[in-house]
Amino acid sequence: MSAALKTTRNYVSTFALELILLAIIGFLCVFARGFASWDNFLNIMRNASTTGIIAFGMTFVIISGEIDLSVGSAIAFYGCLCAVVTEKLTARGLPMVPVILLAIALCFAIAIMTGVFTGWVRHRFSVPTFISTLAWMAALRGGGYLLTNSFPVTPFPEWFQFFGSGYVFGIPFQAVIFLAVFGLTWFLSRFTTFGRSVYAIGGNAEAARLSGINVLQKRMIIMALTSVLAVISAIVVASQIQAGNPTVGTSWEFTVISACVIGGVSLMGGKGRIWGTFVGVMFLEIILNGMTLMNVDEYWQYVARAILILGSVLIYQSQEMRQKD
Amino acid sequence: MDPIKLEVRNLRKTYPGTVALDDFSAVMHGGNVYALLGKNGSGKSTLVKCISGAVIPTSGELFLNDRKIELKSPLDAFDQGIAIVYQELSLVLDFTVAENILIGRYFKKGPGQAIIDWKRTNEKAAEILASLRIDIPVTAKASSLSVGQRQMIEIAKAMSFNPKVLILDEPTSALAQFEVESLFRVVQRSREQGIIVIFITHKLNEIRNVADFVTVIRDSRFVGTIPIAEAKPKTLVDMMFGETKILTRPANLGVSSEVVLQVKHLTRRQRFTDVSFSLRKGEILGIAGMLGSGRSELLRSIFGADPVDSGEIVVNGVTITQPQIPAMKRLGLAMTPENRKDEGLVQILSIKDNLSYASLSSIASLGFINNRRQEPVVARWIRELQIKVSSAEHPVSSLSGGNQQKIVVGNWLNTAPSIIFFDEPSRGIDVQAKQQIFQIMWDLSRKGLSVIFVSTELEELMEVCHRILIMDKGRIEQETTPELTSLDQLYAMCMEA
Repeated sequence: MSAALKTTRNYVSTFALELILLAIIGFLCVFARGFASWDNFLNIMRNASTTGIIAFGMTFVIISGEIDLSVGSAIAFYGCLCAVVTEKLTARGLPMVPVILLAIALCFAIAIMTGVFTGWVRHRFSVPTFISTLAWMAALRGGGYLLTNSFPVTPFPEWFQFFGSGYVFGIPFQAVIFLAVFGLTWFLSRFTTFGRSVYAIGGNAEAARLSGINVLQKRMIIMALTSVLAVISAIVVASQIQAGNPTVGTSWEFTVISACVIGGVSLMGGKGRIWGTFVGVMFLEIILNGMTLMNVDEYWQYVARAILILGSVLIYQSQEMRQKD
Repeated sequence: MDPIKLEVRNLRKTYPGTVALDDFSAVMHGGNVYALLGKNGSGKSTLVKCISGAVIPTSGELFLNDRKIELKSPLDAFDQGIAIVYQELSLVLDFTVAENILIGRYFKKGPGQAIIDWKRTNEKAAEILASLRIDIPVTAKASSLSVGQRQMIEIAKAMSFNPKVLILDEPTSALAQFEVESLFRVVQRSREQGIIVIFITHKLNEIRNVADFVTVIRDSRFVGTIPIAEAKPKTLVDMMFGETKILTRPANLGVSSEVVLQVKHLTRRQRFTDVSFSLRKGEILGIAGMLGSGRSELLRSIFGADPVDSGEIVVNGVTITQPQIPAMKRLGLAMTPENRKDEGLVQILSIKDNLSYASLSSIASLGFINNRRQEPVVARWIRELQIKVSSAEHPVSSLSGGNQQKIVVGNWLNTAPSIIFFDEPSRGIDVQAKQQIFQIMWDLSRKGLSVIFVSTELEELMEVCHRILIMDKGRIEQETTPELTSLDQLYAMCMEA
C-alpha cells in the first residue's frame, strides 16, 4: 500500500463519523424538501441546544469515569422551582425582574450543592455516581411534582420568552448559549489543567492522586458543572413553554448520554472529546430533522438512534483494535 | 499405580531480546515437595508457566511418567493432571466453600438433572476437605475466610481433580506466620497422596518446614536439586547468586552533611512502627527488606499517599505530622510508585500527558495550559532521560517497561524536587534500562538531589546506594553500607532480621 493511500485511510478512519454525517447531510439536501435552508438550519440548532448544552458537561462526567442520570429530572425540577419561586414572590407584590433573577440564582446555588454533594459521596464513600444520580433523578422528578402539585405553573412575563425563543442577530438565543458552552468546554478540555486532570482521573484515578492532583475537588467541580448546565437548559425549556412543568425532560438523560457515546466518549473513562460530543449532538438532531421532513413515522427515530449508538461504538472499537495490531 | 515422575528436558523459552529459560533439565518424583528457589527474574515463573501450559516453550520436552506430553494451553496441562494454584486467588467470594471447590461440577437431581443437589455437593466437598484435614465448614462463604484459608480452599479445589503434579506459586507471600504453618500441613497432606508438589518461594527460612528437595534456578538455568538436609542457608545463597560480580557506584558521588529529610518515630499501625532515619543532601539511601516488610508503605506515608498514626517528618526544615501529597510536593518531595502500571501512569493517555501530570501548574498560568511552555519541558525529559519514542502524542502503553519507568521519573523531575523516592523502579524492565535508571539516580545525586531507593533486588542496592537500611516487620532493624558488607551478608541480614 502506498504511503499516500495509507494516510488517506487513516483520515477516513479517524473522521469516520464526521464523513458519515456529511454524507447524510448531502443526502438530505437532495432528497428532503426544505432541509437545505437557513431557517431549517436555525431550527436544527435550536432543537439541538437544550440537550446539547448538558451534553458538554456530561462529556466531562463520563471522561472522568462517572455518569449523571439526573439531568432529565433536573430540567423539570429547576424549571418548576424557578416558576414557583417567581409566582410566590410576585404574589407578595415584589417586582418581577429581581424576583426572576433571584429564582435563577437559587436554582444555580442548589445545582452546585447537589453536584458537590454527589462528587463528595463518590470520593469519600465510593458511592457510584450511577447510584447517587439515580437517586437524584427520582428526588428531582418528585420535587418538581411536589412544588407544582403536578400542574404547570405559569407566572412568567412575556420578556422571559427571550431565553427560549428570542434571537440575537438573527440567531436563536439558545443556540448562542449552546455554541458558547461548546466553545468554553472545548477550551477547558484542551487548554487547562482542569481538563487534563479530568482525563487523568478517568484514565487512572490512583495515578492522578499520586501525582498530586486534587481528585475530590475535580470530581465535585465536574458534577457541579453538569448540574449548572442542566439549570441553564431548564431555564431555556421553561422559557419556551412559559411555564414550570414537572413532566418535561423525561428520559433526556439518555439523549444526552447517547450524544456523548455517539461522539466517541468512552463510558470506561479517560477518553472522549468535546468536538466528538458536538458531532454526536448534531448527528442525532439532523437525523430527527431529516426524518420529519421526509414524513417518516416519528417512532422510527428510536430505531435510527439505536443504529447510531451501536454503529458508532462499533466504529470506535474497530479503530482501537486496528491501532493495537 | 506407578510412582509419578516428571521430567523436564532442555526446556528453553526466548522472548524477543531475552532468554527467559535456558536449557533447563530436571527430574522430579511423586511423594515429594520440591521447593523451587530463585531470585526475581531468574526464570522461576517462566519454568512454571511452561509446565502448566500457560507458555509454550521455544524448544525442549516434557515427560510425565516417561510419556512425552505436549502442552498447548493450560487446559492441556490440566487434562494431563498438572494443576496450578496462582498467587492471585480465583475464588468467587460470594460463593460457599463447597460451591467454590466443586464449581461447574455440582451434583444434580430431579427431572432432567436440572436441580443442584446441595446435600450431596456439600458432602462431597466436606469429604475432600477431610482428606486434607482442612477444618473449614463447607457452607462458609469464601469472603468470610482469611487469605490463608482461601489458599487452602484453592489447594483443595486443585486436589479434587486428582492431579499428578500440583504447583503452588508463592502461596505464602501474603500470609501471617500461623497461617503459613497450617498451609504447610495441607501441602504435606497433598504430598502423602503420592503426587509431586512444586512450591515456588523466595523465602529461604520457609523451605525447611515444607520441602523435601530444593531446586535452584539462576539466570534462567538449572543449578541443582539437593535434599533438604543438605540445604544450608550458605549453600543455597551460593547456589542462588553464584559468582555474581557486584558492580559499584561511581566514585564521584558526594554526600553533603546537610540533612534534608528527617523521619522521627513514624508509625502507621500494622504497617510500620517507630521508624526514624535521616537523609542527607545528595545521598542515595537504600531500603532493603522482604516483601511485606513495610518498605513501600513507609515511603507512601512519608509522601502523604497513606495516613500516618504518629511521629513526625522534617522536610527541608519544615515539620509535618499529617503529610498530604500536594503539601509534600511543594516541600520538594517526589515519588515514583511501586506499581508503575496501576499507580504511576495513565496508560490510555499520551506520553506527553503522562510527562506533565505532576507538574500541571508549572506549565500553566492561572490554570490555562501554555503549549509553548509544555512542549520544551516534554522534549527535554525525552532527551535527557533518553526515552525512546517516535512521537510524544503516542499512548504511553505503547512503550516498553523501561521507557515507561523513565516517563514516571520525568513526570516527577518536572516538579523540580529536592528528594525523590524510587519504589521498585527496576521491576519488570531489562538490564540495560535498569542501568539507565541507576544512571539517572547517580546524576540526580550529583546535582544535589537526595534519593530513597527501595528494591527487592539486593544487588541493586549494593550497586547504587551510599547507605542501606534493613527493614523487617515494619521496623528498621539494621543499617549498613555497601563497603561494609557483602551481598550474602546483606541477604542473611534481611532473612534473619
